[in-house]
Amino acid sequence: MNFGIGFKLSHLQSMLLFALLISIAFGFLSRRRPIDRAKYIVWSLFLFLLIGVGIGWAMYPFSR
Amino acid sequence: MADETAALTAPPQDSRRETIAFVIGVAGWLVPGLGHVLMKMWGRAVACFLTVGILVILGTAMRGNVFSSSGSDAFDSLGYLADLGTGTFYFVARSLETKGPDVSHAGGDYGTRFLATAGVLNLLAALHAYEAARGRKA
Repeated sequence: MNFGIGFKLSHLQSMLLFALLISIAFGFLSRRRPIDRAKYIVWSLFLFLLIGVGIGWAMYPFSR
Repeated sequence: MADETAALTAPPQDSRRETIAFVIGVAGWLVPGLGHVLMKMWGRAVACFLTVGILVILGTAMRGNVFSSSGSDAFDSLGYLADLGTGTFYFVARSLETKGPDVSHAGGDYGTRFLATAGVLNLLAALHAYEAARGRKA
């Protein structure tokens, strides 16, 4: 990873990475059993992406 | 009045527990995951350390803005507070970002958010460790 040049990610990749990391942290912090954590991580990730894409589409008419 | 009486008659082990919980919370803020390590919550400790660490590394690699105390407006000050939430990782971010921020492209803007989120997430984790030490959460 080159810190001088900058690490390039697309909008979608950035959002996916962000949602995944936060979902993992939320899952581990809020649930105790591994199966509950896995379910929470998947559900949280799904909601992050759904709301992110939804807001993206809602802003689309104002982008030009 | 009733609260004051209750505080005066509180058993000594309660105040000791509060002190230990406070130390655990501060430790969790200074080093992400350390609060949970002290509580022997290994999975949570590793998850906190890795997620906060990865967010900080990605944020700096994307040339996000690592705010300093000399902010010019309220947003800079809020950003600084959020970045400080990463504890010692704030200084890691500052040392890694040798060329300064570049928010002229989307990556830099995302990087700024990654860094702020890392701080807020670490504060949440430290608060969780504090509450767990007080016996309020498991």
